[in-house]
Amino acid sequence: MKSTMRKGSGILTKILKWAFLLATLLIALFPLVWLVINSFRTNYEYEIAPLGLPSKLSFENYKNAIALTNLPRLFLNSVLVALGSVALNLIVASLACFVLSREKFKGRDLISTIVTAGVLIPVISFMVPYFIMITRLGLYDHLVTLILIYAAVNLPVSVSLITSFMKAIPKELEEAAIIDGCSFNQRFIKIIFPLTQSGLATAGTFCFIYAWNDFLMAMLFTSSEASRTIQLGIRFFTSQFITDYTGMFAALVLTMLPSIIAYVFLHDKIISGMTTGAVKG
Amino acid sequence: MKQKKNRNTLWIVLYLLPLAVLFIGFFIYPLIFNVYGSLMNWKGSSDMHWNNFANYRKLFNDDTFLLAMKNNVIWALSQGFIQVPLATIVALILARRPKGWKVMRTIYFLPNVISTVAIATVWVALYNPQFGPLNEIVKMFGGQPHNWLGDTATALPAIIGMTVIYIGYFMIIILASIMNIPKELYEAAEIDGASVLQQEFRITLPMIRGTLVTSITLAMAYGMRHFETTYLMTGGGPAYSTTTMGIVMYQKMDALRYGEASTAGIILILLGTVVIVALRKLLGNNDPMAEAAQ
Repeated sequence: MKSTMRKGSGILTKILKWAFLLATLLIALFPLVWLVINSFRTNYEYEIAPLGLPSKLSFENYKNAIALTNLPRLFLNSVLVALGSVALNLIVASLACFVLSREKFKGRDLISTIVTAGVLIPVISFMVPYFIMITRLGLYDHLVTLILIYAAVNLPVSVSLITSFMKAIPKELEEAAIIDGCSFNQRFIKIIFPLTQSGLATAGTFCFIYAWNDFLMAMLFTSSEASRTIQLGIRFFTSQFITDYTGMFAALVLTMLPSIIAYVFLHDKIISGMTTGAVKG
Repeated sequence: MKQKKNRNTLWIVLYLLPLAVLFIGFFIYPLIFNVYGSLMNWKGSSDMHWNNFANYRKLFNDDTFLLAMKNNVIWALSQGFIQVPLATIVALILARRPKGWKVMRTIYFLPNVISTVAIATVWVALYNPQFGPLNEIVKMFGGQPHNWLGDTATALPAIIGMTVIYIGYFMIIILASIMNIPKELYEAAEIDGASVLQQEFRITLPMIRGTLVTSITLAMAYGMRHFETTYLMTGGGPAYSTTTMGIVMYQKMDALRYGEASTAGIILILLGTVVIVALRKLLGNNDPMAEAAQ
């Protein structure tokens, strides 16, 4: 209950508190607001007064941005890669987590520890081995490659998250199912997997955010336009705009929109997911 | 302890197999391959041959690489000891549920879901010496416009300063930890007449110590592997002033110096481990919340 919360102290603390909150919020939000405002302005307006407001609401920049960039294709590639890696990551992680959380066998804790420790490995240090491996397997410049990398790189996070969710499911549920004649596979498919949905959603969100936003791996392992993701696309088309700053801003806003819309709908899930991991981990 | 053999051994192996393939393929094999490659004279498609740690000697005598190592440590420290304390202050304030705290929590986290490339591009525009709004603001207060990213003295602070927008990430973790502290502790303190500030220092901070250590560790690990924002904003320049180990590694690889790039990777892993182990030694890793829960 809110009323039971402790009351804040003196007026000075109050002012300091709000000043701090406003300052940090401003730093977080100002760039985005500024970007959106300027995406509706002309280059002339922008160059004489970078902090001004648009004189009229014009979608000219957006029309140009859509015409100049192959956004639908870039989006499609990014969606395919992100969804593909989330699916692969969740299937692989949940299969393993079921065994790691609900079965007893030799080496179980060792496997969990090693996989979880992967969180602390800076994956960028594997640039060369990844590159050699990918070119030798003939996977260079394929969307599948990105799917594999994003799914694999997120396994340590997913495994530790999903394991903590699966461990929380009461033993009795499964014992009852075993008495009813449930097989090993049925226990996973019918009981544990459905009961872990919120954990899967969280792990999936992390993987999706990473896959959607990654730039480095896409830059290293793809080259053609056919396999270009949106992040690499931003890098390429910023050079197309040359001095058309506000046109570029409109394009940037378009690339951010899907993430922001998804966040508006999913923020509760994302935030509760992050905190579940933190409190349990 | 002796264990009964599990009847489901075959299924257990099958369920673990996909994880094993991907984890070995993308973590274990690359790690071993990196160690091996770091010890070899290896350029482009040429043969690899043992070169008696020449890559290591070369990198440790290379001023640019030493600067990159220094920058990496600066990144790690600034993420751990600027980012996390700021996040903690925000979390302490929001934990007392001021008006609109839920909306604020959502806004603080927002930059974390937006693409690094887009944000970096926006910040380059914000710092633009000619049309950038930052210089407009500086001029408003009577200051001199400055080329923030073009000056070796300000480029690194400008990029690191920009990462303050990401404090929401650790704020959310710390906030959850604070909200888990039993209310009774504060009620008792209030009866004893402890002020808000006293309560934060005597109850909240000690109780979330474990979370803080974890957050600092993670923030430093992320700082160590920093690549994208710098690469996108300055490419490591001007005059290598913002370069990082990741950027050096990328440039070596781009120049087909695979052996040296692998070496940079291994040094990055080692340096990261040293920094984090030293940190955990320094801060300890006791978590009163976990102990209380047992």
